[in-house]
Amino acid sequence: MTIHILNGFVYGGLLYILSVGLVLIFGLRRVVNFAHGGLFMVGAYVGYAVALHAGFFTGLAAAIAVLAAIGILLDIGVFRPLQRHDPLLTVLVTFGILLILEDLVRSIWGKDYVTVSVPALLSGNVEFLGLQYPVYRLMVIALALVTMAGLTLWLKRSAIGLHVRASSVDAVTTAMQGVNTDRVSATVVGIGAALAGMSGVVAGPLLTLSPSMGSYILVDCFIVVVVGGLGSFTGAFLAAMAIGQIHNFGIVYLPWAASSIPFLIMIGVLIWRPQGLAGGAST
Amino acid sequence: MNRKWVAAAAVATALAWGGPALAQDIRVGVPTSLSGPWADLGNQVKRAVDFAVNEQNAAGGLLGRKIAVEYLDSEGKPEVARKQAEKLALSGNKLLVGLIASGEGLAIAPMVGRWDALYLSTINKTDKLTGDTCQPRVFRVNRPDAADAVTVKPWLATRKEMKWAIMANDIAWGRNSGESFSKGAQSLGKQIVSENYAAAGANDFAPYIQKIKDAGAEGVWVALAGRDALNFAQQAKQFGLLDKTTVAGVSFVTDNTVATLGDVSKGIYGIVNYSSTLDTPANQKFVKAWQAAYPGTEPSNFEGETYIGMQVLFEAIRKASSDKPGDVAKAMAGATFDTILGKQVMRAADHQLEGPNFFGIVAEQGGKLRPVIQNTIPAAEALPPPDGSCKLPS
Repeated sequence: MTIHILNGFVYGGLLYILSVGLVLIFGLRRVVNFAHGGLFMVGAYVGYAVALHAGFFTGLAAAIAVLAAIGILLDIGVFRPLQRHDPLLTVLVTFGILLILEDLVRSIWGKDYVTVSVPALLSGNVEFLGLQYPVYRLMVIALALVTMAGLTLWLKRSAIGLHVRASSVDAVTTAMQGVNTDRVSATVVGIGAALAGMSGVVAGPLLTLSPSMGSYILVDCFIVVVVGGLGSFTGAFLAAMAIGQIHNFGIVYLPWAASSIPFLIMIGVLIWRPQGLAGGAST
Repeated sequence: MNRKWVAAAAVATALAWGGPALAQDIRVGVPTSLSGPWADLGNQVKRAVDFAVNEQNAAGGLLGRKIAVEYLDSEGKPEVARKQAEKLALSGNKLLVGLIASGEGLAIAPMVGRWDALYLSTINKTDKLTGDTCQPRVFRVNRPDAADAVTVKPWLATRKEMKWAIMANDIAWGRNSGESFSKGAQSLGKQIVSENYAAAGANDFAPYIQKIKDAGAEGVWVALAGRDALNFAQQAKQFGLLDKTTVAGVSFVTDNTVATLGDVSKGIYGIVNYSSTLDTPANQKFVKAWQAAYPGTEPSNFEGETYIGMQVLFEAIRKASSDKPGDVAKAMAGATFDTILGKQVMRAADHQLEGPNFFGIVAEQGGKLRPVIQNTIPAAEALPPPDGSCKLPS
């Protein structure tokens, strides 16, 4: 039982790190960013390429830096010019960016699948709660918790966090108070993309790298974001952890229905609580 | 006037570049997984078809005509496969090969006659394709699940492990393979303690792995392919399942997955339907030509099987002296074909090509980690006789 709960937290943790970037970007830009799966995938490949020469942790740092830069460019080059247009247009553009990123990665790294080894420092098992459990998987849970705590502190305690929260409520009034909202947006999209890149590298030793890997996990991320509440950080955390557990226990106890349960939950939330489980709680 | 000249110049440029297939060409349609969980397999099919077509065209084509090939992405989804195969067939590419998932093959099989086309499976494994849902215009060159069950049984009989688990894709092939393995294992007095069928494209196999461990399985039969196979192997290694349990499978440890997984795949047993190491003059000639076309590579399991399919297709066209699907089908049924695995008969009763099958283990051979053949089942024994469920018009 304990090991199933831990497995649920690992998958939930990975979903959280990826989804929270999506939540950040939606919270401020009101953009449903389909390119987020592509950013996750590019992060995984950048991390892999750098790790081949300089080790896993350098790869992780490089992916975070590269994806943060891509995020800032995405905000300046795409989200900002499109902010006064129909949101559907921005959604279509982000979907186009996803396809471009997939083709770009295919042309650089090829069509063949790639696997990434667990870094030596985090390989093997450790005794945890009386069980032998892979160290790397425990690290994923820890990283999700650190990300949650770090983002909460940043948003609640820092000046820029205050600007982010204010901009997400009313960007015009916030700008009138002397806040450079363009800079705030670029920072938020940069951080959101960096989180996508980080989750891509973290997913490397768990999932096979392929140009379409972002599309596979993006569906689960959208379920997390919708169930948690669009734009809600607390909701994303709770939903990711719940979806992780439901995914695991569904396979164990209701294997015939396991893949459809998260979708049923999402439909239920959309009908009975469209704002999500914690909609608006922390944005 | 200027516009007409521009249009004419554009057409001329397209034709000079290679352009679209011409009406007089022999046209082959390949709906295959160029994206999705089996994109890796689809790309292998594409490489093999390209190689076979280029080789044949370099030798003067067929019936004095050039062979043209057109690809469409089936995404590994039966409904998309049906749509793409129909698009290919109705645009003149009526000789169809290359679908990956069994469900895709089953989805187009009943439609092939209506499209006046022919479908030749090189990868689909479900027994149903040449069993109770067989069709006059559907043929198969690759080994079906029933043949793989025959191949694994002698090995299974020698194993001391009594408790086995199944880990397969929740698609027609995975279910069929799981059932075939279960029957074989139970007939040897072994017990199936855990059956697991994961959706195609699954990310997280941890709950399945834990279920297998909790069930006390001493052996695991794996029927996963492409990305799913890699995800499972990688995660099973982290949980110690590959080190503590005997693992065997089909389409699980192929040349490509072994190349990607490296040492993780060492010691895994598996069905080998084709190997570039098979020491026959025809196969060695093929491997040499392949290496010239694709330097630094050897033909993989699925590439070898697809190439055999193209050999059978080309020879049937030659025998029929026609590329009309009806004529090719008549020429194919019951005929003997000269392939890289020797002479093989296309059974008239169910349209299944007879041929040898192999079983092996992932180990170092020639300085390279690869599936190494340990047991060969000759053609006469590899394929169970038709079970009578296929009713083809005589």
